[in-house]
Amino acid sequence: MTAATNSDPGELMAAATKAISAGGAGKRWTGALRSPLGITAAVLLAGVLLLAVVAPLIWQGRAEAVQSAEILQGPSSAHPVGTDLLGRDILARVLVATRLSVGLALLATAIGVTAGLLLGTAPVLLGRRAGRWIGAFINIAVAFPSLLLALFFAVIFGVGAKGAVLAIGFATAPAFARLTQTMAATISGRDFIAAARVAGIGRLRILVRHVLPNIAEPLVVSATMSAGAALLSFASLSFLGLGVQAPSYDWGRLLGEGLAQIYVHPAGALAAGVAVVLAAMAFNLAGEAVARAIGLRSAQTHQRTQKAPDHEEPRAEPEPEGPEKPLLAVENLHVSFGAVTPVRGVSLTVRKGEAIGIVGESGSGKSLTALAIAQLIERPGRVRADRLEFLGTDLRERSTAHERTDLRERSEASERSDTDDHSNTRERSKAMERADMPERSDVHERSDVRERSGKGERSSARDGSELNKNELRRLLGTSLSMVFQDPMTSLNPAQRVGRQLAEVVREHQGADRRTAWRRAVDRLAAVRIPGAERRARQLPHEFSGGMRQRAMIGMGVMANPALIIADEPTTALDVTVQRQVLQLIANIRAAERVGLLFISHDVTVVGQVCDRVLVMYAGRIVEDLPTDALLHDARHPYTRALVAAVPDMTTDRTKPLAVIPGRPPDPHDVPAGCPYAPRCPLATDQCRRQDPALTTYAAGRRVACWHADLAPAAVPDNRAATTGGEGVVPDSRAAVNGGQGAGPDNRAAATDGRPAASDDDKTDDQIAAPLGGDRA
Amino acid sequence: MRELTFEDVTVRFGSRRRGTVAVDGVNLVVPAGQIVGLVGESGSGKSTLARAAVGLVPLAAGQILLDGRPVAQYKTRPLQMIFQDPYSALDPRMSIGASIAEAMPRGAADRRAEVGRLLELVGLAAERAGARPDELSGGQRQRVALARALAGRPEVIVADEITSALDVSIQGAVLNAVRDLQRQMRLTMLFISHNLAVVRYVSDIVAVMRHGRIVEYGPVEQVLLDPRHEYTRELLDAVPRPGVPLGT
Repeated sequence: MTAATNSDPGELMAAATKAISAGGAGKRWTGALRSPLGITAAVLLAGVLLLAVVAPLIWQGRAEAVQSAEILQGPSSAHPVGTDLLGRDILARVLVATRLSVGLALLATAIGVTAGLLLGTAPVLLGRRAGRWIGAFINIAVAFPSLLLALFFAVIFGVGAKGAVLAIGFATAPAFARLTQTMAATISGRDFIAAARVAGIGRLRILVRHVLPNIAEPLVVSATMSAGAALLSFASLSFLGLGVQAPSYDWGRLLGEGLAQIYVHPAGALAAGVAVVLAAMAFNLAGEAVARAIGLRSAQTHQRTQKAPDHEEPRAEPEPEGPEKPLLAVENLHVSFGAVTPVRGVSLTVRKGEAIGIVGESGSGKSLTALAIAQLIERPGRVRADRLEFLGTDLRERSTAHERTDLRERSEASERSDTDDHSNTRERSKAMERADMPERSDVHERSDVRERSGKGERSSARDGSELNKNELRRLLGTSLSMVFQDPMTSLNPAQRVGRQLAEVVREHQGADRRTAWRRAVDRLAAVRIPGAERRARQLPHEFSGGMRQRAMIGMGVMANPALIIADEPTTALDVTVQRQVLQLIANIRAAERVGLLFISHDVTVVGQVCDRVLVMYAGRIVEDLPTDALLHDARHPYTRALVAAVPDMTTDRTKPLAVIPGRPPDPHDVPAGCPYAPRCPLATDQCRRQDPALTTYAAGRRVACWHADLAPAAVPDNRAATTGGEGVVPDSRAAVNGGQGAGPDNRAAATDGRPAASDDDKTDDQIAAPLGGDRA
Repeated sequence: MRELTFEDVTVRFGSRRRGTVAVDGVNLVVPAGQIVGLVGESGSGKSTLARAAVGLVPLAAGQILLDGRPVAQYKTRPLQMIFQDPYSALDPRMSIGASIAEAMPRGAADRRAEVGRLLELVGLAAERAGARPDELSGGQRQRVALARALAGRPEVIVADEITSALDVSIQGAVLNAVRDLQRQMRLTMLFISHNLAVVRYVSDIVAVMRHGRIVEYGPVEQVLLDPRHEYTRELLDAVPRPGVPLGT
């Protein structure tokens, strides 16, 4: 626990740490100082502190010179705010009182902060049990009125500055202790504290080295602000006669004295009041400025200026249009935040009943792509696309849409005049119910789509963009459902699960409360939540993680969606629960021919759920291939490396895992050429100069690589040919290492036993059974 | 090389009457110089067991022995732990070098050189000792955490879900580093993960935990190829296998 044992590395590291932190911190503080708030706070505070030091030296004599000839004079050139009962210059007295007022306030704050720190950090030092008692004590103390405390101390120490300082100090302490305790407890829960404890570091050193530095900034802010509060409290105590006693004087006392003559000359009373307000403001604004400066740290990182991309971005070849109109068509999608563009030219289509997977590492832009499609990118984010169509409706910002004429033609084609949402959705539901009769349902779907776009156009022509936005919202709300990674944060913790589900149809379809509730229960039952009626009345925290995620999916299918976007829906779940959720998604897709956009970092999960996989790297799609080709026949070196890097139940245990050297490019600074080139074993000069476009090389397969032909040989895969899962012992591996030649054979092996994509056959598994219940 | 033994270890949270039993009479042996993989679902008590081993959670009953002696009796810390979240495991206000140096035993000579050596050992440049955690990627942070654990010159390392917060391309590098170091330094290791494929790749022995109890224990090949317990089978069935339809 001694500092000596640790001083040498501490010193060694300190220099380096300072050098690094100085740059960032310095910038932060100058930034804060340059703001109007910062300037005001700094000037005021500097003025107050300067006065506190200088004023008594200059004006002391003047302030205390009794001039019986000039009693109670009004403002004059000699006495700018007049004189008091004894003919003393009030301005001089106010200025001189700065030292005592500010000094006592600071002293009281110091006492409060010290006591608060000691109390608040005691739980860290004394352990859990003692900590609980201290916590209880702080809770009681917080509730104790400070004026009562002041009276109490006045009784003990006698009326005077001493009692007042202690009273204000101890009245400040509990609130400060509470803040310290809460923040210290948060930090103490972090793993680095646990690591320090495991390393055998004492509690005092943990407090000093780990806890305090991490909570110091907010504490400084709080202390500065409480100095302002202490100043006010002190003034009021003195004003009441409980504070500074004559012949000393502070602002509160001057205010009290001046008040007696307020009708004779008000300036005398006001001068002290103005001083109190200005000084308190100086402290509070300083606290505010410090808080802003601390907050700026996170904001500033986003405000980096970026050079314009110095290289031309190649355009991805769009997928050939199939016979059926795609559910979702995206071309050249860009998402940017300020100067940073994390999604750069993504093109994809999802057809009815198709499951598309997007895989990529964190920062590859896969989640942003999903959010952009669901229109969930908030300002300052910007979404640009050459085409962004869902169910034939252009989702782009109205200003960028230029196919209005096209839409109008379509609206003329559909001569339906009803604007009632009810009948509209009922129509859709019926179409869904007849999903087993593909031709008819198709007709319905198409007319429905047309109807939607027609309606959207009509309303935009009539009421401008406002209603149009509502139409769009309704379309997305009913036909597109989104499932997020963390069901705990996507469900409202304070509202019953059933009500949250019911809200979807109430909001978008105007269903009455009862119908909506019935449907919510029905949907919960459909996603295999046992005792749905009872569960619907429960709050989200009463659900397990898997159940919550199923409830989220239930919410997604409340309104018969045409497309489900699932963003890492099983990442937070256990494997057994993951399987249930995946089965549920697969089943809904099969039963209702819903399109699925499934985003995951997990190659194996995507391989299990999807028909086709899009691999994203640095904001663009680098490969588009059928799932069964993913494991052994991928052509992009990144895809191959990604697949090889994931151990599965057949990985060779005797060899090191394949790794991808380096790290993904910083979105602030994407290099020219292929973004994967710095990590790629095949990279040539061409790769570093020119960014390859996503080009079709076989039916349903696109790749963005100059050397796609060489990739299979250069990046061998890591897997045994059997994907049946029985091969725990990696004997069957030899067959795979043949490089290029191995591809087709393995693919054949992998394809075995895979169901056809839109096969509606039900498994006998309970969870995979089709959705039941009545619709709407 | 030491053998870590859990003997009837029980951990209880909350009061005796209303609290929950997180770990329920666990008997587990981690043989010297071997890696035991501990699998189980969230809430099965595996992390609590790990925290109990390093003394972060008090035991309600039983004891944890190292070569037959209770862990608490050792003067120096023979056990070290690596945590799940690399973003929370390093003090953001400290340089990584200082974090590593802090874990070294008292009176260690030439800490600076030792910090450099440890950083090189986990595949980071020694010059990066002055870097702060926010300059590092998740995988690099996790490697720093590994270096910090090694700085305490432990004989047993408890690794709690060390790769689950990492991207797959980085996960491989961390797993390789763990395996290499374990072999080089002949460490005894308790490796906790919910990912069966990762446990299979890293471990010599597998223990399956459920509801606070160990339900199956044995060599990796045996447990994964021929599981005896119903729950182990369930877990194995749930492991996603690309290309294998979900319904089976």
